[in-house]
Amino acid sequence: MKPVDFAYARPMDVTAALSLLAEAGPSAKVIAGSQSLGPMLNLRLVQPGLVIDITHIAELRLVEERPDGISIGACITHADIEDGRVPDVAAGALRDVAHGIAYRAVRNRGTIGGSLTHADPSADWITMLAALGASVTLRGAAGLRTIPVEDYMLGALEADLRPGELLVSVTVPRLGRAARWGYYKLCRKTGEFAHAIGACVVDPERGVCRAVIGATEARPIVVADARHLIGDGTQEQFDGPAVDELARASGMEDAIVRQTHVVALRRAVAGAAHR
Amino acid sequence: MTGQGVGASARRREDDRFLRGRGQFVGDIRLAGMQDVAFVRSPLAHATLRGVRIPDAVRSRVFTAADLAGVKPIVAVSGLPGFKKSEQPVLAHDKVRQVGELIAMCIGPTRAEAEDVAATVTAELEELPAVHDMLAARARGSALLHEHWGDNVFLETFVDIGIEAAFDAPIKLTRRISTARQCMAPIEGRGTVAYWDNRMEQLVLYTGSQMPHIVRTGLAECLGLMQTQVRIVSPDVGGGFGYKGILLPEDICLGWLAMRCGHPVRWLEDRREHLTAGANCREHDYDITVYADRDGTLRGIDCEATVDSGAYSSYPFSACLEAAQVASILPGPYDFPSYRCRTWSVATNKCPILPYRGVARTGVCYALELMLDLVAREAGLEPFEVRMKNLVRPEQMPFDNITNKHFDSGDYPQALRRALAAADLEGIRARQRRGEPDGRLIGIGIAIYCEQGAHGTSVYAGWGIPMVPGHEQATARMTPDGGLELRVGVHSHGQSMETTLAQVAHEILGIDIDRIKLVHGDTEYTPYSTGSWGSRGAVMAGGAVATAAREVARLAAEIGAHLLQADPRTVTLRDGAVYGPSGSVTLAEIAHVWYRRPQDLPVSVDPRGLEATIGYKPGRDSGTFSYAAHVATVAVDPQTGDIEILDYVIVEDGGRLINPMVVDGQIYGGFAQGIGTALYEEMNFDASGQPLASTFADYLLPGPTEVPAPHLHHMETPAPYTEFGVKGLGEGGAIAPPAAIGNAVNDALRTLGAEVLQSPMTPRRVLAAIAAAREGTA
Amino acid sequence: MSRVSLRVNGRVRDAEVAPRTHLADLLRETHNLTGTHIGCEHGVCGACTLLLDGMPARACITFAAACEGAEVTTIEGLDDDEIARELRAAFTARHALQCGYCTPGMIVSARDVVLRMAAPDEHAIRVAMSGNLCRCTGYVGIVRAIQAVIADRRARGIAAIPGGGRDRLGPAGAGHAGAASAPPPAASVPAAAPLAALPDAAGVPPGWTPQVTFRQSFVSAHPAEAVWTFLGRIEEVAACLPGATLDRIGPDGRVDGRIRAKIGPVAAEFGGTAHIARDGQTRTGTIAGTGRDVRSNSMTRGRITYAVAPDPSGAGTRVDVDIGYTLTGMLAQFGRPGLVQDLAARLAAAFAQNLEGRLSHAQGVDGAPPPAPARPLDAGALIVAVLVGRLKRALRRLLGRS
Repeated sequence: MKPVDFAYARPMDVTAALSLLAEAGPSAKVIAGSQSLGPMLNLRLVQPGLVIDITHIAELRLVEERPDGISIGACITHADIEDGRVPDVAAGALRDVAHGIAYRAVRNRGTIGGSLTHADPSADWITMLAALGASVTLRGAAGLRTIPVEDYMLGALEADLRPGELLVSVTVPRLGRAARWGYYKLCRKTGEFAHAIGACVVDPERGVCRAVIGATEARPIVVADARHLIGDGTQEQFDGPAVDELARASGMEDAIVRQTHVVALRRAVAGAAHR
Repeated sequence: MTGQGVGASARRREDDRFLRGRGQFVGDIRLAGMQDVAFVRSPLAHATLRGVRIPDAVRSRVFTAADLAGVKPIVAVSGLPGFKKSEQPVLAHDKVRQVGELIAMCIGPTRAEAEDVAATVTAELEELPAVHDMLAARARGSALLHEHWGDNVFLETFVDIGIEAAFDAPIKLTRRISTARQCMAPIEGRGTVAYWDNRMEQLVLYTGSQMPHIVRTGLAECLGLMQTQVRIVSPDVGGGFGYKGILLPEDICLGWLAMRCGHPVRWLEDRREHLTAGANCREHDYDITVYADRDGTLRGIDCEATVDSGAYSSYPFSACLEAAQVASILPGPYDFPSYRCRTWSVATNKCPILPYRGVARTGVCYALELMLDLVAREAGLEPFEVRMKNLVRPEQMPFDNITNKHFDSGDYPQALRRALAAADLEGIRARQRRGEPDGRLIGIGIAIYCEQGAHGTSVYAGWGIPMVPGHEQATARMTPDGGLELRVGVHSHGQSMETTLAQVAHEILGIDIDRIKLVHGDTEYTPYSTGSWGSRGAVMAGGAVATAAREVARLAAEIGAHLLQADPRTVTLRDGAVYGPSGSVTLAEIAHVWYRRPQDLPVSVDPRGLEATIGYKPGRDSGTFSYAAHVATVAVDPQTGDIEILDYVIVEDGGRLINPMVVDGQIYGGFAQGIGTALYEEMNFDASGQPLASTFADYLLPGPTEVPAPHLHHMETPAPYTEFGVKGLGEGGAIAPPAAIGNAVNDALRTLGAEVLQSPMTPRRVLAAIAAAREGTA
Repeated sequence: MSRVSLRVNGRVRDAEVAPRTHLADLLRETHNLTGTHIGCEHGVCGACTLLLDGMPARACITFAAACEGAEVTTIEGLDDDEIARELRAAFTARHALQCGYCTPGMIVSARDVVLRMAAPDEHAIRVAMSGNLCRCTGYVGIVRAIQAVIADRRARGIAAIPGGGRDRLGPAGAGHAGAASAPPPAASVPAAAPLAALPDAAGVPPGWTPQVTFRQSFVSAHPAEAVWTFLGRIEEVAACLPGATLDRIGPDGRVDGRIRAKIGPVAAEFGGTAHIARDGQTRTGTIAGTGRDVRSNSMTRGRITYAVAPDPSGAGTRVDVDIGYTLTGMLAQFGRPGLVQDLAARLAAAFAQNLEGRLSHAQGVDGAPPPAPARPLDAGALIVAVLVGRLKRALRRLLGRS
């Protein structure tokens, strides 16, 4: 179980990485911590001609805290966030979610940018960051563009990454003082991929009430104004049948799968209520 | 007991090297000029092989069946009447019968480069309909794996012991119960390093094996070598559990390559190969009916059991050991008058099966114990009451049950009573009545089993497998400095034999266990043995070591008597010295004289010196019967289907324990594997015979959060026929958990009217059962 | 080849390795440090866990070249480490190992738990150790040994170091090196054999039942006759199928071609042969064929049946398409069966849209643009996306954690 032969490049800045990408075309694969691509390379599911290692690019390992939020470099690891080396502007949500990703040894190398770009629907970040209203910034030959996290994911394993583009940072808005959040995932065992995820953020100061159903077959189901589903975030106002109908309308046909997703969101909301 | 002997929780002598990363596993062996091997394997489950295309540029590095002239296929024949023989080709030549079957072998300076070569080779395959469902495979008109058989049944067996007498029983319950196909998944996979030793004129094959001598025999037969020309070395083995009790086509390939190429070759099974191509286990289906009286008395059991044996009969255990065992052990530790059982060992387009820890006992226990709970429910009794009504009683021991199993000793009801007390059955019932604040449902479940272990010649001759164990031999030899070497043909794959067998020798000779060296895992240096399987190591090798050590003690005592100028009848050996009426001499001094100062010995001295190789069999070879009662308490989340094990109690009777710490470790480890069977592990195949897991993300092994620490209690009823009264118990922990947890889950779901009769009991299956019950009542 | 210089167990060690070499192989095969064990090579079992810049990391999914300049500590380097020494004693005392294969990774992860976590309860220790699988011990002794060492150290006044003392950001092992690039070594083997026609060109025996089936229907604005005729022109149909290329059209309904697909980072190209049969009376057709992706040694066999009829509403033509396929080989050996329905819908929608566009152009409908050229690979090769749709689930299971 060894990868195919590939060339390796270690650019030291984003510009160099972009020119490598442009030259090599689609046979180039970008790796950050290699915790997703590594297994696929070993299994020869991915057979690139060139691997571009972006973890040595200093600017991708930076964070910038601002009054309204934080910008997190693409190569910041889950452990950086879990350990608090990255300030948590989301009232503990970032640290909590980071702590629950896979295993510590994976978190020490796996990155937030890699996770989002891999676009795995069962991954944690896509769901929680969508609930938080985070966005990603991409850089390509044409310059920068910034889009909401949920739009970055086109479908299972497909990110909206145009040829020659690189995800450079993730921006997470700062939650208000009264904000509450909830996150609940169903796994059969610790560190395993989630079968259902629920996430919600209620931030009265900013007028935010978002709910996300994650670990679906495809993109997470994001409800930007979820007051009709979860009220102000207390469990009593959770409208299970409406969530079930939403999931069904989103293409979740299997009743048992739907049930577990409704439960995950219900429990996320309950968690938020008690936070 | 002296702190190191039988009964002492001596710390393990093998630990230090492992804790420092200095163990030596197959993958750690480095030989000059060694090349790696990668295999071209079939992507299809069933196909005609029309040809193999090999680019010219790599032709010299690729070998196919056409190159293997004279190499014989692997054949493992069961002696049971009606068995149909399969020939497992070393490399496929006309047909492939499972995904992962070997088609070509490729060599390269590294594994990566060998895989590069393999990727250029194309097998021309013409797909045939795959046989993936063992029940459908039995039916007329199914596609055939081995066409000349006329069907897909390796073997059908039938036993009927007066079943008609049970037909008038007031309670008659029938269910279909099944267990999933599993992979054994030791953390170290298989691996083989081979080279030809010119000086010894010998093929040397390092392979992680539970049975090096059996591998030598089989390998020599397939390659047409004399057995003196084959040396098998099994170094440190990273877990086995049955998976390393097989002669692999890969072993034969590597042996052939080593002879052909003139340089060492290496193949290390990777995880994808293990999961998609390596041997499987455990896939059983039971169509079972239980007859009982209203008071819970069992009247009879009637069962049709099918075992999916995969494509070939694997060497040495054959395709039928599992099903044959089902028929003989289904009655469990219960005493009832009527029994009928028909079994089929069915060939399908899947990997062959091997006996996995617990072998058929795990499936049998699951089927029977689930049924007994249903009987209890039907009769309005507590599940334990049904057990108490029917369990063999201590005053019946030794007891020959309905299938002529000779239960050697024990008090089964007592084990159950102790387990129920420890689990606080009444407290759990009260808690169930109160209900849980979080809405989960609590359930408690019982399972009891017996683990026939270390069964010997008569039993295996009856089962007809091509490897019947006879006397187990050991060599004990004192060294000139007063140390001791032990040589045994069994091999440790984690069982701590370097410690426990030293304890046995220490018990007899009093030599410090740090001065006792166990030599095992090498056919060149050890007596023949069928190896480590069937919970036989402690009983058989332990008995052999004790016997050989006693002989050395006797020889040493005679020399000691001479040195003490005493009558040999007046001396005794204790604490590592020989004592006479007027003094003592240490074993080290005796060894020194024998080896270094023979001039001090009389001419009449026994020329065997301080060395003995002796065989051992227990007084009866029908096997030891260890047993246990397991009680699981679980919480089931009816919204998500999640199952949490809240508490787990094991009361085990393994006879006299050589090293209680090691015994506990065996039970804990078996228990963890039992949880895997119960809740997580499942190797699915689709209708075209494709295995649907090739990583540990698809095939789930229980981790630290999935395996709670069970509460473990011991009873120690000595076995009547074995050295020290020990019983085999290495497999037991893995037998009962699916049944105990299954009964607990169904107890929890009782109020919903749902029952789960299929392992693993996944959240999906739990939710489906709840939904089905809801629909049934709606 | 690339030159990789690491500080291994306190000593600088250089090596020339292929860029594809992962850290575990570098240490084991080049530096003969065999204590770092390989158990799964996809980052789940934890046997290869070692310390990278002092942090536990998976050596099997970390490429050696990416760690240039990093500090690597393997189990062999922990002989004199204080925590490891205490753990070794505790592991032995509590029988926390049997076969010893997972043990080096266990010690490394356990050391990290002891170092970082102040006063974890048993469950927290279990969660923290969940990335290390043991098949022998049931974890009982391992957890107890870790508990004992933590309790003992805290009692001795040795505090935990949150975060393991790390003050850098980014992946452990990264950020020590300068720019570099390494071409792969000169190919030692030729590229994979060219796509080969399969021995049995039809490839679909009469009794074959597909593993996955689904139906998609759409309505065309054009009359049934026009749609039926159009579907008889195989070049046109192929042009409507994203990712499809025709290589040869035989006289007897036999067609050789290829279909490309891209599922995330996984690219597959199935080459093979199809047979086409049409019945003008019932206006039904069948396309059945077999294709192989050489790179993944995977095969697919599929059958598409279509029926053309006037739509009951009277407006236009209804086309019912029944698609069935079976996937075998490496790409199939994941997850569970099941179709990704949104991909099927996307396939049908794209096909219908392309067909409608081509029909309109062919029929000379006013303003209908000329047909677009065959879509490039990355624009969404939907057919095979459906074929390997179930792969996605599997990949998500495997990889849901970067």
